[in-house]
Amino acid sequence: MNGFRLSAGALGIAAMLALAACGSDKGAGGGDETGADGVKHGPGVSDKTIGVGMITDLTGPYAPLGKSISQGAQLYFEQVNKAGGICGRTVEPQVRDMGYDVQKSVASYTELEPKVAAFAHFIGSATVGAVQDRIAKDGPLTLVLAWSPQMLGAKQIQMTGTTYAIDVINGVDYAVDEHGLKSGDKIGHIYVEGDYGVDSLAGSTFAAGQHGMTVVEQKVKATDADMTSQIAAMKSEGVKAIVLSTSPKQTASAVGVAAAQGMDVPFLGSNSSFAPQLLDTPVGPALTKGFVVMQASSPLSADLETMKKLATDYKAKYPDAVLDNGVMAGYTTAAITGDALKLACGKKDLTREGIISAHRSQNAWDGGFGSKMDFTDVGQPPSRETYILQPDKDSLGGLKTVREASVSENAQKYEIKLG
Amino acid sequence: MSETSVSKRPPAKRPPAAGSAPRAFPTGVVVWAAVAAVAVAVPFYLDAFWLTAGMFAMSAAVGAIGINLLTGATGQLSMGHAFFLAVGAYGYVYFSAEPDGHLGGLGLPTPLAAVLAIALAGLAGGVFSPIAGRLKGAYLGIATLALIFLGQHVLFSAEPVTGGYNGRAVPPLELFGFSFSDETDLVVMGIPFGAPERLWYLGAVLLALAALFARGVLRDRPGRAMNTIRDHETAAGVMGVPVARYRAGVFVLSSMYGGLAGVMLALSFQRAVPDYFGVMLSLDYLAMIVIGGLGSVGGAVIGAVFVSLLPQVLTRYSDSMPLVAQPGESGFSPAEAARMLYGAAVVAVVLFLPGGLLGLASRIRASLAGRRPHPRNTRSSS
Amino acid sequence: MTTFAELLLNGISMGAVYALIALGFVIIFKASEVVNFAHASLLLAGGFITAKLHGSIGFWPALAAGIAGAAAVGCLVEFLVIRRSKAADHSVLAIATIGVDIVLATEIARHIGTDVLAMGDPWGDQVVRLGPVSISEARLAALLVAFVLIATFLLAFKHTGWGVAMRAAAEDGETAALMGVRLSRVSMSAWAVAGALAAVAALFLAVFPTPGLDKTTGMVALKAFPAAILGGLDSTTGALVGGLLIGVTEALMSGYQGDLSFLGRGIGDVAPFLVMLLVLLIRPAGLFGTRELTRV
Repeated sequence: MNGFRLSAGALGIAAMLALAACGSDKGAGGGDETGADGVKHGPGVSDKTIGVGMITDLTGPYAPLGKSISQGAQLYFEQVNKAGGICGRTVEPQVRDMGYDVQKSVASYTELEPKVAAFAHFIGSATVGAVQDRIAKDGPLTLVLAWSPQMLGAKQIQMTGTTYAIDVINGVDYAVDEHGLKSGDKIGHIYVEGDYGVDSLAGSTFAAGQHGMTVVEQKVKATDADMTSQIAAMKSEGVKAIVLSTSPKQTASAVGVAAAQGMDVPFLGSNSSFAPQLLDTPVGPALTKGFVVMQASSPLSADLETMKKLATDYKAKYPDAVLDNGVMAGYTTAAITGDALKLACGKKDLTREGIISAHRSQNAWDGGFGSKMDFTDVGQPPSRETYILQPDKDSLGGLKTVREASVSENAQKYEIKLG
Repeated sequence: MSETSVSKRPPAKRPPAAGSAPRAFPTGVVVWAAVAAVAVAVPFYLDAFWLTAGMFAMSAAVGAIGINLLTGATGQLSMGHAFFLAVGAYGYVYFSAEPDGHLGGLGLPTPLAAVLAIALAGLAGGVFSPIAGRLKGAYLGIATLALIFLGQHVLFSAEPVTGGYNGRAVPPLELFGFSFSDETDLVVMGIPFGAPERLWYLGAVLLALAALFARGVLRDRPGRAMNTIRDHETAAGVMGVPVARYRAGVFVLSSMYGGLAGVMLALSFQRAVPDYFGVMLSLDYLAMIVIGGLGSVGGAVIGAVFVSLLPQVLTRYSDSMPLVAQPGESGFSPAEAARMLYGAAVVAVVLFLPGGLLGLASRIRASLAGRRPHPRNTRSSS
Repeated sequence: MTTFAELLLNGISMGAVYALIALGFVIIFKASEVVNFAHASLLLAGGFITAKLHGSIGFWPALAAGIAGAAAVGCLVEFLVIRRSKAADHSVLAIATIGVDIVLATEIARHIGTDVLAMGDPWGDQVVRLGPVSISEARLAALLVAFVLIATFLLAFKHTGWGVAMRAAAEDGETAALMGVRLSRVSMSAWAVAGALAAVAALFLAVFPTPGLDKTTGMVALKAFPAAILGGLDSTTGALVGGLLIGVTEALMSGYQGDLSFLGRGIGDVAPFLVMLLVLLIRPAGLFGTRELTRV
């Protein structure tokens, strides 16, 4: 046995040397070079192409949004390429579906990272979290679609809009203004496990504290579909408003149960708590009354040229697809990526460092979508504004504006603790 | 298809000492040498994606060996394997990490932390032994399902230890001053050796050790006792095998394999996140051993490689595969295609290949050599 | 007190739905000694058929089609996989059903895609008020239907030829076969019945207060595992009791999670498994299960 293993080892090493001596092409590449047109290149960029990665969820729990996000981004890059590309180069989007599975997320990132100049989107806190340290070390500019404070603090990682907590603070302040909540009242908060829920809860707790109110918490799992117990608990506590940081399905259940039981309190939903598909379910009517969504980006129904064009183009390219916030999110993050690349091209520096610093030099990006974003401070979200929107069957994307984007006093002074 | 009756042979006719097979016909040495050579050479050729995929496959193989000892060799169905992986992964992180803000940690030397994490997984298995020793079959399967749900609840709730939903960064392993990370530059024969390359070798060595140990267990007395418990519980009892103690003991051993797999996974992820350690992971492990071949080390390894590489291959080459769709097109997405294939593989193997892929391999070899395969590669039905 | 009564009532109605699913497990286990991990996709198949058809043929025919469809899928699984498997080890068969589940669930999920499908049920979001306590009509219907179905099966088990054959097969397959019981027929009918029950459960899982059927609806079947086990896998009464116990525990632990926060938030979902482990520690065969006597 010993002899056998020894000889195996010796053979192995001999084979290795022989093989390695034949040479492999692995060592080459990876560094920065200068192209024929005098533009410095980093990984993912050649004289003809710029690789842009997208890590999305097409088969997991966030598939409804993931599909829209990726299609929105594809639409943007298609338009960019039709208009001649960026820096005279064709943008080559590379989409990977990770099904909201961290292992696949790690694999997708490992695969795409050497081949792309930037990630136009990367969905989910846990999935980004699994490779976050690697992105922050030497990764490319990465637009994340996750709004927890953990996503702040690294120059490579960029969230859009604002954090979950600030959305909720703006929302609670809105409810205080509009529904006359006062000191001593209780507000309920149903939230899903995970940082979407936890950061939202931090927001509601902060806002409630500022108004002298208390929060009644109910935590649910992502897979729970029936909110009866939670609403019963809220009812017995006599809450005056309920914040929902849940999945769309859970939102429908909570609002439906409350309506059926004659519990007439305002509902405030976080930005991921609504999907237009819900309007066709039996609880659709209940959702259009007394429920608002707090969201940092403008709705698809907003009266903006860019938005209308996006909606028309998207419908033309994907006639059967649902128009929802995902389309907007995917298109916007792609546009931010595209603008960073264009800016970096202007400085003749398409290295990772060049793209990131070009991106971080913008302090009032809006891309024609209404809300201004400031990318210069890595420790802060690009905005603290929140729209208050209401589900509406006739509006594009199923949401209409109740209050335009604004920052409440509490949202302004809320201090974000970095993860 | 030649449905040989190998797998249906009653156990009584089996040679009593399944382990005393003619050990290595000369070709064996060549085969193993080739395997070793390939393992050494791989990092020089494949990129980080494949090396990481390989590291996943190797840690899956270690975990699969563990559950094959339990489910395959002893007949105890466990759906809680992912829990022990979680214990190993988080145990390693907690023991090795320095305390940081609200996150606790012991800051122990990393090799010690790894060993303790494996011991902790074994301990967790031991705590479960009042149930693991008394239950069997489906009852144990569903009881162990509870471990997954309880485990995930703890992972999400015990934030100072686990980091909660977002998980925790995993400190890289450092062995005699050599770090398995990207931190220090190392170039071997013109190839930069980063974390994936270094971890590949670590994984290969650990897998080899784990496989050898398990093979020793299976071929010796304990292995025979385990098989007897699986095939004839009462007979085992009559022959003086302490059935409950064996069941509990194998459960602990398989938990430790799970723990080691967890440590390896954590090292290659560089971050431990609770979402990963769910029901699906446990089911994956069961699928691995069924596809590869129940009750043997080789089967576990083959199954682990198949199940963990299939989705990666499909995703990577989705652009060039006709049935696999891009976003916005109809058809199967790579992930869906991978799931369908692997579900179908489980069913097909149970129906048509009772010995799994390993059994198929030895059947092919046997028919080439014109003789019967050795029974150790097949699984007798009771 | 109102809250308690409301939680209790809701727990019982959910528990009744779990009991339907658990009863399916138990029937399959009794007839073919297989633990059916594909139950989640049987459920999803039934619900999906109902949801897709109600628009064109009306709710009741669609429900009938859903029930028939899920029963047919059950039969098909039995006929194509279980019957053909040469593995006599039931753990291996259980793993095979996991494979079946993955294939079926992936395919159905692909068709559901990202939609939330309405079931077109007649109850809508109506609520019944019993004094201060309110419960949705759909839940009340679930409670009634589940109890009628379960009672029917318990009676059928005792008094019909099918029931006798089933019990004989479960007791001692070989002897039953010698006595003229056709085991294959018994096994197939068990799978059909389990599929039908799962389809009914799917309906009630996807109507108000939940918004509709989506691809994760089948996951609820996971909660019926502990229900079946803690009642005793081979006991039909056990399935009923287990289901109710799980439903009530879950509802109460969720509703009162504020008072139980020392256990960590969101304990309601873990509760079924905790209860199951406790029961198994005391009674390894479940509350009503028969302790297996060893045969040599």
